[in-house]
Order: sequence, then structure tokens, then C-alpha cells
Amino acid sequence: MSGASIGSLHGDSFVAPLEVAYPYSRTVGTALSRFFTSLKEGRLEGTKGSDGRVYFPPAEFDPQTGEQLTEWVTLPETGHVVTWAWQSTPAPDQPLDRPFAWALIALDGADVPLLHAVDAGSIDAMSTGMAVKVRWAAERGNGITDIACFEPVSDVPGGRS
Amino acid sequence: MAERCAVVGVGQTNHSSCRADVSIAGLVREAVDRALADAGITIQDVDAVVIGKAPDSLEGVAMPELWLADALAAHGKPVFRVHTAGSVGGSTAIVAAQHVMAGIHGTVLTIGFEKQSDGNAMWALSVPIPFGMPVHAGAGGYFSPIVRGYITRSGAPSHIGAMVAVKDRTNACKNPYAHLHEPDWTLEKALETPMLWDPIRFIETCPSSDGAMALVLMSEERAEKMSGPKAWVHATAMRSEPTAFAGREQVSPRAGEMCAEDLWRKGGITKPAEEIDVVEMYVPFAWFEPMWLENLGFAPRNEGWRWVEDGVTEMTGSLPVNPSGGVLSSNPIGASGMIRFGEACMQVMGTAGEHQIDGAKKAVGHAYGGGSQFFAMWLVSSLKP
Repeated sequence: MSGASIGSLHGDSFVAPLEVAYPYSRTVGTALSRFFTSLKEGRLEGTKGSDGRVYFPPAEFDPQTGEQLTEWVTLPETGHVVTWAWQSTPAPDQPLDRPFAWALIALDGADVPLLHAVDAGSIDAMSTGMAVKVRWAAERGNGITDIACFEPVSDVPGGRS
Repeated sequence: MAERCAVVGVGQTNHSSCRADVSIAGLVREAVDRALADAGITIQDVDAVVIGKAPDSLEGVAMPELWLADALAAHGKPVFRVHTAGSVGGSTAIVAAQHVMAGIHGTVLTIGFEKQSDGNAMWALSVPIPFGMPVHAGAGGYFSPIVRGYITRSGAPSHIGAMVAVKDRTNACKNPYAHLHEPDWTLEKALETPMLWDPIRFIETCPSSDGAMALVLMSEERAEKMSGPKAWVHATAMRSEPTAFAGREQVSPRAGEMCAEDLWRKGGITKPAEEIDVVEMYVPFAWFEPMWLENLGFAPRNEGWRWVEDGVTEMTGSLPVNPSGGVLSSNPIGASGMIRFGEACMQVMGTAGEHQIDGAKKAVGHAYGGGSQFFAMWLVSSLKP
């Protein structure tokens, strides 16, 4: 353990830096294991609730009844923007290194949206209801970032942009 | 006048060193679904949920109750989180019972859990203290001088801890949910295990487990409509004290004595060793069995170790302690206290299976936590109070 920092005097009081860091792992359970495995293999899979609603990302337990959800639905790579906000100055480790939109995106056939990035180029290209599609990451097996981002689809039949 | 309260459902996970097959939510649901099935109700019948676990640093999930609310179908219901370190499983069950006894809720679901494989409890409990000496010895390092103090004070021979450990590990073989199933221990082999924190040997320490325990509690009015066995809550008690102060009695903390005295008074017990049929006691290090026998008022001061040596606490003895195998055989920390409380219920419900103490009518669940500073106990019976 560190003993490098011994603190400093602030007026009459000592104040010590305290950094606590431990390694953890996370067992995600059966539902998210299937979700992450399918993303790695290039598929988008959600769960269907007791009321027929499709959850993507999948819910492990039915938000209505609390029962474990076991019925899976494969979804297309297309969807639409439910709402969005523009990130004009990307921070380090964000999905894109240029201005982009954070958006709630409902995949076609899904009843709840997921939060992800849209590489729209400029704020003027963003609109609620616009059609988008998945851009897969070059390397997969890293969870939700297997979807690198979404990108606008201007010429999808039935698209709402 | 408080309402009567009964435990009508008990459910626990199959505890193990790593339940990689389930998320924290899935682990909790495994215990919950078994408790609900035991009670014969569905999760929709629950009025309120009370959750407890040990410090968030153990898994690195802050406020897991936020994540678990939907896994427990708790939308539209009150969810409470209780936190008293290692005793939390016990104090959580007490909070659940108090909701029923206060007449606020008719059916309460309570859960204690820990998924220790997601983190490292040894280091999570050894946070450096600025300007303090860095010992980093974990729980064993903290408790070993206290055990040494007991041995010095009582004159106990050095094999007592190993005797307790062999008893609990042997008992655990009768418990299908226990983490450790090690049938071949002998005292001779136990005494050969390495000394980890002198005087605490390897076999005298608890394992690190993933697991959960869930209980369904009901008001008298609701419980009487249920056909299954019940464990009536006769008394609950909790006491606390600071971790460190000058002159503190660490071998037999005053808060533990007060907690037991309160429990016996509320439960109308005047001779605990004679009136109690079985005890599920929080013994993460084997030497704590004789220490708690004295602290809780079962055995006279300095005599607890003789009871161990004479077999009093064996399943065949007059005061069986930890027929489930205890914390020494399964220790998902946040669940361990509730496992004690739930196993006490199973004994008076007659549902403990191979580790059932025949005819048990009054049982005690006990938990302690922190630096022996939080104590929680309950007294349950097959008979109404």
C-alpha cells in the first residue's frame, strides 16, 4: 500500500489524500451473457416481456411481473431516434472523437430505447424521429461498445427523417 | 401492543465460492423464489421489501438496491436497505419483522446477500486510514488478538477451535445449501492445518462465499391463513457499541451481553441453556463459539470451551450450535446473519432436513458485525408467543 502522500496542513487541520482502488469482476447472469455474446457475433437480441413489449438491451426480469424473461427476439440493425442531445466537445473515452449526438434509439421492433451515440457529423443533421442504423466496431467482444455508434440513414423507405 | 409476526417462508441459494452462473440479481432471485415457494405465495403478494448486504466495497456496486428493485418486482412498493456490517443479515430481518409488528405491512419479503467472488473482502475491509499505522491484516488479523485474549483469560486448551471447526464442517455435510462439504475432517487432521493468524488455524476460518437468504414474514392474520409450518417471532434485539475505546471488553463485548439480556427478557427466557433447543450462532472464526456461549449467557464465564469439549454443542448435545454448518461452512457476508435467522426458523418449522434437531420448539438466530460492535438476535418458536 502507498505511503507516498502524507497529507498537508490546511489552517489548523491536516487533510490527507486517500485513494482507494480494488480490482472487481462482474458476473452478469444468463440474460446479459447472451446479450453480450450475440453482440460479439454481430446480432442484436432483446427479450420479450409478459405484455409483449420487446426490451433492447434485454431486461433480465419482467418489469411488469418480476418473472425471469426467457423469450428472445432478434432485431434488425435499423431504428429511429426518440430524443437526443448534442455533444459539441467530446471528452476522452467517449465513443467518438468528433462532435456527435447522444441519443435514445429504438430499434425497429423494440419497445424501449437504448442510449448510444449517433455519428451525424453536425447538429443540423440530427432530428427526432430520424432513421439510424448500427455501425459495428472493428473489434468485438467488449460489451455495449461492440456497437461503435449509430449512423443516419437518409434513404430508408418509411424512414422518418 | 405489537402485532404478532411469523416467518412463513425460508429460501436460500446453493452457496459456493463463485456463482458465475448468475448475476447479483439472479442470485437474489434464486433465494427469493425458494422463499416464496416455501411460503406458497407469489412475489405479487408482497407488500414491502427489506434488503441488507455488507459494505458496498465488497462487490464494488454502490447502492445495489437501485438495481435490484426491478429484479424483486418492487415497483410500487417500499424498498428499504439496512446496513450494519456483518450483522446486517440479522438486523435486516429484524427491520422486516418490525414492519409487521408495527402493523404497517401484512407481508414483508426480506433478503440478505453477498457475491464475494465479484470482489475481495480481505482488502475491501482493509481501507488505509490516513495517519494511522497500516496493518492490512483483514478480519482474521483483527480478531486473532481477541481470541488470544479469550484463551489467556479462560485457560482453554489450544485444540478447542479445531473441535468447533470439525463439528461445523461435519454438520455442513447434512446441509445441501452449504458451501463446504468436507466429510473427512478429524481433530488430528484439523490441528495440522496451517496457522494463519496465530492462534487461528486455516480450518478455524470461514470461507468466502456467494449466496443469499430470503424470508417471508406475515402478520398473525395472514399467517393463520397459510397451511404450512411457521416460525413465530417471540423477540428481537439489537445493540451497538464503538469499535474502540479505552477499557473496552473485546472478548465479551458489553453490547453483545445487553443484546442477549434484552432478548431473554422480551422472550420470557430465564434459563437460556435449558429453554433454548438450538442456536444458529455467528461464528466466522471457530473460537467465537465458546466466546459467544459465554457472551450470550448460555455458559458461565470461562466455561464455554468446556461445553465445546464435552460435546454440548454437537447436534447430539443438549444445546446444538450451528447444525447447518454455520458461517464456518458458508459465508456470503451480507447473507450470513440472515442465514442464521432463517436456519433458526427452519429448525422450529421442522424443515431443516438432515440437520433437523428433533422436536426443536425454540431457536435463536444470532449475528454480529463490525469490530464485534453490532449485535442482532431473534428468538423464534413453533408456538405462538
